Amino acid sequence: MLTPLESQGRKLGLYMTLPAQLLLLFIVAFPLVMQLYVSFTWWGPLDGTPWYMAYESANLFGNYGDIFDDSKLWGSIGRTFLIVAVCVPIEFLLGLGLAILFAEKFVGKRVFYSIMLMPMMIVPAVAGYMFFMLFQSTGPINDLLSRISGTEVEILWLADSTLAMISVMIADIWQWTPLMFLILLAGMVGVPEDQMKAATLLGANAWQRFWRIVLPRMKMVMIIALVIRTIECIKIFDILYVMTGGGPGVATKSISVYILDLTFKDLEWAYVAAVGLFILICLSVFAVLGLILMQRAQRRNETMPA
Amino acid sequence: MMQRAFTSHLWRYALILVAVGIALLPVVWMTTMAFKPHTEWVSTPGDLHWLPREPTFANFEYIFTGETDAYSITHERTATRPIISSLVTALLGTAIAVIAGTLGAYAVSRFMVGRNLPLGVLQLRLFPPLAVMIPVMIMWAFIGAMDSWWGLSLIYGIVTLPFAFWLMKTFFDEVPREIEEAALVEGCSWFRVFWKITLPMVKAALASTTLFVFILNWSDYVIALLLTRKEWVTIPVYMNSLSSAMTGQMYGAKAALGLIAVVPPVVFGIAIQKYLVRGLTFGALKQ
Repeated sequence: MLTPLESQGRKLGLYMTLPAQLLLLFIVAFPLVMQLYVSFTWWGPLDGTPWYMAYESANLFGNYGDIFDDSKLWGSIGRTFLIVAVCVPIEFLLGLGLAILFAEKFVGKRVFYSIMLMPMMIVPAVAGYMFFMLFQSTGPINDLLSRISGTEVEILWLADSTLAMISVMIADIWQWTPLMFLILLAGMVGVPEDQMKAATLLGANAWQRFWRIVLPRMKMVMIIALVIRTIECIKIFDILYVMTGGGPGVATKSISVYILDLTFKDLEWAYVAAVGLFILICLSVFAVLGLILMQRAQRRNETMPA
Repeated sequence: MMQRAFTSHLWRYALILVAVGIALLPVVWMTTMAFKPHTEWVSTPGDLHWLPREPTFANFEYIFTGETDAYSITHERTATRPIISSLVTALLGTAIAVIAGTLGAYAVSRFMVGRNLPLGVLQLRLFPPLAVMIPVMIMWAFIGAMDSWWGLSLIYGIVTLPFAFWLMKTFFDEVPREIEEAALVEGCSWFRVFWKITLPMVKAALASTTLFVFILNWSDYVIALLLTRKEWVTIPVYMNSLSSAMTGQMYGAKAALGLIAVVPPVVFGIAIQKYLVRGLTFGALKQ
């Protein structure tokens, strides 16, 4: 039995969750059902029929069958995973290196720390524009290279398919290494100092201290950082789209750019709905794996003797 | 021993300076570009001036008035409207997310109701917006919310709700229950306890959450690209329209606008540094 106070609280609690629940229902649950419905048809915005009449052109799994023959889609999935596979590890290692540099106290730490965090606060679309300017053939990157090499360097960074990809990766690494740094540094600070002192007294050198004490304690933080960055990196759009628009050709077309083109250029909304759901399901599997990893690491961390 | 400590310090500073330089380079370039007249926008490699030789406000004049003596090209639509649009939608979206998130977070933190909420809002963060926007676009066209301030604000509110919810939940979890219980024994109703006692205690946290959510909304590009056409385009969408086949790249003008767009999130971000880790990891990590 609930006490009067408890039941009063429960009732209030229900009222308080109402706004969030309503938002979830109308802008998440309902659209998802709608997306599922539309994805079973050939419906498009130019059909002249309202969306709820989409059943007239029902094709059951027609769209889903097309997904497997859609080489452009698989190409963009491949490119997205290439970006994730290159960027996330590099961001992680650079972030870890920076965190080690910042782990101890030194003069000017606060100022340098604030500056290091700046890239991730820049509006991503503007960051994309910054790198668009930097990588122009008449831009500062070529200028720096010219001055170092002494010859006139005129590399067309964004017009060459390989170089465009590298440019986009550099921009992503620039913007998101600070996030890794921030999270990893927070994890490093959590290592108890007396443990470090004890290890030093027992004759452990800096490398051993890092490898044996700091690293095992940081496992959960590392997994959280990697999972979050991987999920965000799969969504990559703003920076990339402003820099290259997915080009040259399809050289930097990520999943998001591909879907945008389908939406606005081809206007095949029913197919977009199917592709969207397909990607959603794949990502959900990923996310569940990530969550399990995170929880397992958390549990191990809690049972670890302090 | 002293010698070694000194060299290791030197190394640390050298590496940090390199990192800081790389972090600053693009920002510095855009800032100087914003003050360069158009004759200095492009240059030959090896002969490039980092600082503007003849600093000018022409770029700012151009984006706000659509014309300036310095350039022959005029621009019909000025940046004033997109800046207002960005402000209005980001602020309203932030209000929706923070109000719904705070109320929901308190309920979940105290009364254990709405257990589906934490996972439901977390899932929101997972999906690329583009993969789930088709039904929203259909719905928005259907109810006439396309290219409107409220349509965009509503989506911003829901997209950033997870951050507001998780941040506030960790803050409420930290408030000691004893104070609330004492007030309840005195005969206060639960809502009064929340409104008069708990909320004032987390005032600073609430302010940080608001700023954090505002940064996220202000930074959006893709949602505005999908849901606005003309009237309510936001700064990043408008920025890309500043170049066309006729005018070419308006490097300086775009840089000036970019600079304006970058200032609020950087200032706010530095102000709430303490809570960034918590916010960005959905409260999984506290600093």
